[in-house]
Amino acid sequence: MKDFAQTRPVPRAINWNRIEDDKDLEIWNRLTANFWLPEKVPLSNDLQSWSRLTDEERTLTIRVFTGLTLLDTIQNAVGAPALMPDAATPHEESVLTNIAFMEAVHARSYSSVFSTLCTTAEVDEAFRWSAENDHLQAKARLILDEYDATASPLRRKVASVFLESFLFYSGFYLPMHFSSRGRLTNTADLIRLIIRDEAIHGYYIGYKFQRGMEKLTEAERQEMKDFAFGLLFELYEIEARYTEELYDPMGLTEDVKAFLHYNANKALQNLGFEALFPDEACRVNPAILAALSPGSDENHDFFSGSGSSYVIGKTVATEDEDWDF
Amino acid sequence: MLDTGLTAEHDYHALNAMLNLYDDEGRIQFDADRRAAREYFLQHVNRNTVFFHSLNEKLRYLVDEGYYEPQVLDQYDRAFLHEIWDAAYAAKFRFPTFLGAFKYYTSYTLKTRDGHRYLERYEDRVVMNALALARGDTGLALELITEILEGRFQPATPTFLNAGKCARGEFVSCFLLRLEDNMESIGRGINSALQLSKRGGGVALMLTNIREHGAPIKGIENQSSGVIPVMKLLEDSFSYANQLGARQGAGAVYLNAHHPDILRFLDTKRENADEKIRIKTLSLGVVIPDVTFQLAKRGEDMYLFSPHDVEKVYGCAFSEISVTEKYAEMVDDPRIRKTKINARAFFQTLAEIQFESGYPYIMFEDTVNAANPIAGRIAMSNLCSEILQVNEASEFNDDLSYARMGTDISCNLGSMNIARAMDGGDLGASVTTAVRALNAVSEMSAIDSVPSIRRGNDEGHAIGLGQMNLHGFLARERIHYGSPEGIDFTNIYFCTVLYHALRASNALARERGRAFKGFERSKYADGSFFADYVDRDWLPETETVRALFERMGVAIPSRAEWAELRDAVMRDGIYNRNLQAVPPTGSISYINYATSSIHPITAKIEVRKEGKIGRVYYPAPYMTNDNLEFYRDAYEIGPKAIIDTYAAATRHVDQGLSLTLFFPADASTRDINRAQIHAWKKGIKTIYYIRLRQQALEGTEVQGCVSCTL
Repeated sequence: MKDFAQTRPVPRAINWNRIEDDKDLEIWNRLTANFWLPEKVPLSNDLQSWSRLTDEERTLTIRVFTGLTLLDTIQNAVGAPALMPDAATPHEESVLTNIAFMEAVHARSYSSVFSTLCTTAEVDEAFRWSAENDHLQAKARLILDEYDATASPLRRKVASVFLESFLFYSGFYLPMHFSSRGRLTNTADLIRLIIRDEAIHGYYIGYKFQRGMEKLTEAERQEMKDFAFGLLFELYEIEARYTEELYDPMGLTEDVKAFLHYNANKALQNLGFEALFPDEACRVNPAILAALSPGSDENHDFFSGSGSSYVIGKTVATEDEDWDF
Repeated sequence: MLDTGLTAEHDYHALNAMLNLYDDEGRIQFDADRRAAREYFLQHVNRNTVFFHSLNEKLRYLVDEGYYEPQVLDQYDRAFLHEIWDAAYAAKFRFPTFLGAFKYYTSYTLKTRDGHRYLERYEDRVVMNALALARGDTGLALELITEILEGRFQPATPTFLNAGKCARGEFVSCFLLRLEDNMESIGRGINSALQLSKRGGGVALMLTNIREHGAPIKGIENQSSGVIPVMKLLEDSFSYANQLGARQGAGAVYLNAHHPDILRFLDTKRENADEKIRIKTLSLGVVIPDVTFQLAKRGEDMYLFSPHDVEKVYGCAFSEISVTEKYAEMVDDPRIRKTKINARAFFQTLAEIQFESGYPYIMFEDTVNAANPIAGRIAMSNLCSEILQVNEASEFNDDLSYARMGTDISCNLGSMNIARAMDGGDLGASVTTAVRALNAVSEMSAIDSVPSIRRGNDEGHAIGLGQMNLHGFLARERIHYGSPEGIDFTNIYFCTVLYHALRASNALARERGRAFKGFERSKYADGSFFADYVDRDWLPETETVRALFERMGVAIPSRAEWAELRDAVMRDGIYNRNLQAVPPTGSISYINYATSSIHPITAKIEVRKEGKIGRVYYPAPYMTNDNLEFYRDAYEIGPKAIIDTYAAATRHVDQGLSLTLFFPADASTRDINRAQIHAWKKGIKTIYYIRLRQQALEGTEVQGCVSCTL
């Protein structure tokens, strides 16, 4: 009998009772409690508001959402799966599968918006636009390059954090802007649910990046940091053009850029780096910033929309002592 | 990172949003909101208001163009109209918050038909309300503008919005209908739901009497499809009908916990429910009798009874019998088909669904009926779970005409601002004016589209006087919500309001020369209602509250005064079958600068989202950077203090009080069940929503945001 050479490691079952990194469990719990589906949001309540938008506003909205759909598609199909082989713990893998799935939910949510509010022709036109838009394609390519198997695990994480915490936000700006003026407020609720998820994704992947950095030498760390800032500069360059193309007709570009700066700093903070843009460049319109808060503390009644507050609860049976009367 | 030094270039939305962001010293920027309100007027309202040179010109234009109802103005002479308008404008009313002003101008004020320009200021709306409700009584009209402009009384949205306008919905906001176990009743109910939501209100329907899924029809087994398809029909009806686009129709359905479809009913609110049965926008309520609690206490199963069989055996609808009383009898009766589920598991499922959706509302059936002073049974509540009145079934012919007309329920509401009412010093006068205004709404309402509702209103003239700004008042007086002093105040305040409300309705009965129909069979008629008030003193138990009433000059009725009132009521009756109901007060509390209802605040800076407005930020009334400690929010205060406060008010309120419970997201279903048990033990009548708040994960929150770093 000949010994077989071991070609693959022994498969091991995941044991959630032996947690190596508490963060994995914390994020898992948070993500599962946050689970939602677009059917939950009564988007059709926005039909009236949608019909009151101007043609330009409508085109812009559809384009922004197709742009977001593209990013979510990438993150679902390539981004999150690409991070999985690099996972430091089996639990991290599980968290990443959840992230991947929720990205698919997000991509599907935009389609829900489209099917509720728009005509097929409008939507098809917008998808064509997104396939042909140079800036959108350029940023998608930059990120996809980093997701390539040849790139290092940490570089993949950097790209992923930039996508989650930075690139989405030029798109998120518009629904937040509309909702602060009482328009498309149910769509804004749906986007807020997405923001709630993306905030956690960016934070978690950034956290894993920082754990990875701790294992590097000083020189390697510096190299990685240079790479991160380099990539951010490139992405920012494209993002600024993309923003101008989209928002110039509405005169919102300056505001959106301040918002981009703010989020670029947030992305860097997730990676454990210092801010790039000075405070005065990050003066986001307070109406947008306040609209972002992912907490579920808004108040509404049955005449209003359903809100972005939604959590799945913990089930615990009552005991005899509870029925004390 | 958040530089908030930005000023002039910011619009009012941005200024308002700054409320939700701390300044450099970590202080809440109250001033930004005041500036937002001012900018809103300068940049928006003043520029978009149609200007008139004189009152005469304005009234002529508004009547000629068909905006104002001439009948309302014609009840008064021209000189008086000048007098009342001058008085209103002399009061120099200003909106203290951006949300108040914004809400008023977006949702209430009269606009040109294209919706672009404003035709009224706040004062005009108040005067039109006063003129319409006073029906020619100049004294009452003047009292009303004072009460409303000084914020002591605020009519409910449908009244405040519609009074005096030609293109309008009804003044009444709330309707309750019974459905019986036959197609005619269901069909007529759906038609009524359409008619009523078109006229601007919430409609609640009771499904308890409809036979369950699988029940026989004409003796053939497994034919009925139960309550779910009826709910689907209703949900679609409500989303179709809206009040001139002003707001969506809204509806609620109530079902007894011992109805065999109860679990299916609850599952319609599950996130992963099949689209065919998923109920998104209809509100649900469950009616729970005492026996369910006793079964759960003993860890036993609870039987569910077929309404079809119950009706055959007892000769009356399922909702007409007390499940607690007949439970053992029905369990042993072989003619009634039954299924069983575990009682504790039922409560746990209830809490699970509440976690996911905030629903169902709960009505504690036996508590409600024990406290009901009117003859008859109460088997349902309404969309805000504060209306608790007796109704009677109707019977229909094949062509849907009435074979026998029953009574259904409408209720018109209005709320007092506790802080302003106390400041006013003459609580009796304020309550009297409020009762007269609400009574006028009831006398002016004639819902001909649903004759059973019209009949109920004509016979009962039920009103629902509510209260708001309890937390705002307590905090301003540096009393903690839910503290012994807070509960003591609530008890005495509501007791005093009850006294004055009964007195006002008693005076109305004398003026009209009659009491409500069925008075002679009520607990008012034999005086038993008053036993609690003439056999003991109702006085503050704490020195703080005693001093408060004394300082504000608000008299507390003595035992002798109660006895005198009892005698007067037994002699002359009261005109209004129901008097008080404490609604959740959404919109009107913002306009009135009050905290909602008698709830604690939900946040120091509340993020308000409504279909028409989007996100707007609202500071708790009277809050400054120096008294923040008294503004702990509902999640910090916790369910027990809220329930105890409500229990103190409940004993003095003939109908219900909308009571929402608040939990942090890491609460479990057991925590919710415990709160429900506590509420039931303390004699709470209904529970409205369950609200959960999840804190932002550390590291993902928006920096410097007031509402996410609490």
